Amino acid sequence: MTYPILTLITFLPLVGTAGILLFGRGRHARWIALATTLATLAAMAPLCSGFDKTKSGLQFVDSVAWISMGNLQINYQLGVDGISLPFIILSGLLTLLCVGASWTAIRTRDREFYAALLIAETAMIGLFAAANFFLFFVFWELMVVPLFLLIGVWGGPNRVYAAVKFLIFTLAGSVLMLVGMIALQVATPEAGLNFKQLTGTTLDTTLQIWLFLAFLAAFAVKVPMFPVHTWLPDAHTEAPTAGSVILAGILLKMGAYGFLRVALPVLPQAVQIFLMPMLIISVVAIIYGAYVTLAQTDIKRLIAYSSVSHMGFVTLGIFTLDQRAVEGAILQMINHGVISAALFLCVGMIYERTHTREIKDYGGVAKTAPRYAALLALFCLAAAGFPGLNSFVGEFLIIGGAFKTNAWLGILAIWGVGLGTTYLLWLYYRMVMGEMNPGLQGLKIELTAREILTLAPLAFLALYLGLHPECVLSYLHIPVSELPNIIATP
Amino acid sequence: MTPVPITDVALLVPELILVGMALALLLVASRIREAGVATAGTVLAAALAAVLTIWLMPQSSKSGFSEMITIDGYSQFFKVLIASALGLTALLSVKRVDVKFVRPAEYHALLLLAAAGMMFAVSSLDLMTLYLGLELTTLCSYVLVGITVDKPDSNEAAIKYFLLGSFASALFLYGMALIYGATGTTDFKAIALILSQSSLGSDPLFVAGAGLLAAGLAFKIAAVPFHAWAPDAYEGAQAPVAAFLATASKAAGLAAVGRVCWAIFKTPTNGLQFDKLPPEVSMLLVGLAALSIVVGSIVALAQTNMKRLLAYSSIAHAGYALLGFIAGTDAGAEATMTYAYFYVFMTLGTFGVIITLEDRGETLDGYQGLAVERPKTAALMLLFLLSLTGIPPTAGFVAKFVVILNVVREGYYVLATLAVACSVITAFVYLRVAVLMYMKEPVAASADPEDALSSRLPLAVSAALAMTALITVVGGIFPGILTSWAVAP
Repeated sequence: MTYPILTLITFLPLVGTAGILLFGRGRHARWIALATTLATLAAMAPLCSGFDKTKSGLQFVDSVAWISMGNLQINYQLGVDGISLPFIILSGLLTLLCVGASWTAIRTRDREFYAALLIAETAMIGLFAAANFFLFFVFWELMVVPLFLLIGVWGGPNRVYAAVKFLIFTLAGSVLMLVGMIALQVATPEAGLNFKQLTGTTLDTTLQIWLFLAFLAAFAVKVPMFPVHTWLPDAHTEAPTAGSVILAGILLKMGAYGFLRVALPVLPQAVQIFLMPMLIISVVAIIYGAYVTLAQTDIKRLIAYSSVSHMGFVTLGIFTLDQRAVEGAILQMINHGVISAALFLCVGMIYERTHTREIKDYGGVAKTAPRYAALLALFCLAAAGFPGLNSFVGEFLIIGGAFKTNAWLGILAIWGVGLGTTYLLWLYYRMVMGEMNPGLQGLKIELTAREILTLAPLAFLALYLGLHPECVLSYLHIPVSELPNIIATP
Repeated sequence: MTPVPITDVALLVPELILVGMALALLLVASRIREAGVATAGTVLAAALAAVLTIWLMPQSSKSGFSEMITIDGYSQFFKVLIASALGLTALLSVKRVDVKFVRPAEYHALLLLAAAGMMFAVSSLDLMTLYLGLELTTLCSYVLVGITVDKPDSNEAAIKYFLLGSFASALFLYGMALIYGATGTTDFKAIALILSQSSLGSDPLFVAGAGLLAAGLAFKIAAVPFHAWAPDAYEGAQAPVAAFLATASKAAGLAAVGRVCWAIFKTPTNGLQFDKLPPEVSMLLVGLAALSIVVGSIVALAQTNMKRLLAYSSIAHAGYALLGFIAGTDAGAEATMTYAYFYVFMTLGTFGVIITLEDRGETLDGYQGLAVERPKTAALMLLFLLSLTGIPPTAGFVAKFVVILNVVREGYYVLATLAVACSVITAFVYLRVAVLMYMKEPVAASADPEDALSSRLPLAVSAALAMTALITVVGGIFPGILTSWAVAP
């Protein structure tokens, strides 16, 4: 590969933003956005085909000297490995679907909407492609701004509160990460914050503990882990569909990705020290999140809370440090990205017609909209961990690792799966089955071709990843086995 | 006293250009009806001063006038910065000066003289010249704040500023007198020499003098607890004048703080190499910085007037800028210089947006729904606000990164955490404006299409906004290009 493919993919959406701002008058904006996201996704094809799963380390590296101020030397470095590649593709896919989902839903100030969406895409891809911490941080922060606008401008009735809460929570976490990052730079000035070189250095244990706490503040807010998850239900509920999809599909993964990319490799001793507390709060998130989900009456809020529970599985898997469970956790991040995005899209599509998110206003949707009911059934079952669909594999691997670490963790995680099945199937039962709610009479609920096309890739992924999980797992074997502290599976 | 060789005048060429232009404007004042002439003259003088500062000056540092004035990398950096701020302020003044019947020649002459004073101050190597430079600046500033004589607010602000400012100048002068009493000199190098040789550090006379001097300088940069004048002065003054005070004046004050710290307290003398400031001086700077950051950030939360909000934010920014000086390392001084550089441009940009929106009033409510009515202006404001908050990839992030890097490097972890925690508070302050602009509906349907606006917006203001926005963006992406020439004193 002779051209800087990662740089191209990362900044192609920004070119689209410029195009929208210059030529996006009227309804042109959405066409430019569609073209840009399609082109970005297409540009990822050589990335997939050229990627060598058997090689360790980063591939497609772009490296240029960047900042040089006094004794501060930082390079611009992008690169992908097996862990980041699936997320880059997921980011590209979900942004494309967001354009599809917003096609008719966004009617006001659509030029700015698509511009913000494309900036968010650059931030997402850049974050997963970043090969040094500084760049990672830049994209991490860059991500916040467009989402703040997406929630606050195009969101629901309580959008300003949700947007500001989201922003303050994320910033509070990330400024502590900034101090941690600076402390890391001071401790290892020659590494230039490059992840690979940072991994090679051994830091003092006390410093590692402080750094872990600083990074935990940022990552835990994004995941979100109990008890800093309270921004999530507000943000997800108030955001427009595209915002919810980006939030649930990608933004939540950034925190867990941060653990994998920064905390685990760079701070191995601190990870060992904090192992038990992290496992415990993960299980708390699973159980507590699931019970809170059961009590929700608003569909979007219900799915939002279910994310707290599902992301608990991810952190549980990561901190078992078992090779299979970590792979399962990464697979589960992808799975959750696919399914929660699909569920939010489903909710968004029906909300566009009914303008209500209360579960009690629905019922018997299957009678008028069989295709919608079928797709929703697929996604609900996938989210519940139904065998043959994608979440099953991830959860299975994670719970296996949890049992190896401590039987109680495994038992509680299975309890969480049981609760998950309950709230999802109960949601489905109340929305889709039974007698038709009189309030829905006369509404055309069935999906249009565009909407089915938007959901189809996700439905395909839910099935394909369930039947053939190895297509993601095979990318993960080598990078995961190279993380320090990992207990290899015989 | 040796006679001053005539060649020393070469050291003052940039200042002389500014003074010369000021006098020229005053001489022909009665003839100038067009504000454009005065603006053009000021911008020309500023540009010439900046260019000559860079090109005509010796490569190595050089001093003259009996070691009272120096030209080195440090003063060159700040002179160019001050000249840029002067030029941009003149451009931003176009709208105001026309509308409010301020006499253009006098207004611009005062700006020029104030900037000349600042340049003089940043190249001082003696308490006398430092005082002269700062005093010239302050006297011009008093008049500039009150230049709209028919506006009571403006008069009130000028009087408040004058009273507090005179008090601060008196403190500074008294501190100088005490130091002179203790050492018998006002020359920085001589004081440093005596300080290194005797137990002057514990002499109450000297300590009191240094304390008073610090108070006087803290007033100039509006650091807490000497900040009370800033909100009133900014609110009462014309927006361009407030911008000038918040940027050029603050940069000059910071330069003076750095110069005094470096030249008096850490000059290598008699083979003694101080690589850090004495702990007492460090503690004093830490105290000023921490108080300014905390008070500036928190009080800004309660503001409803845009200029007052920016005044408190500038107080917090003074604190952040001081963070680079605390330890006394050269890398730290360069961090502060970087901070000052980016701060000047992003603040000028913010004031520029305020100036373009003067018809909406200066309260925060006036910004409601701006993004619907004037999307470009709102986007520009958002950029400057993000930069002031310190969110990448803007220049403000780089500025914050380098100063906090310095704080952490010196081991002040608590201070670093406090500083970033307060930056979350300031984020809330600035984003309140962003929320109003983007997430609220416009109050009245004052159908004001964008194209009508840009035709009314003078080219000069647009140019100034474009330049500040460019530096805010480029500075965030390629910071090395713009600030690699920062050299510690």
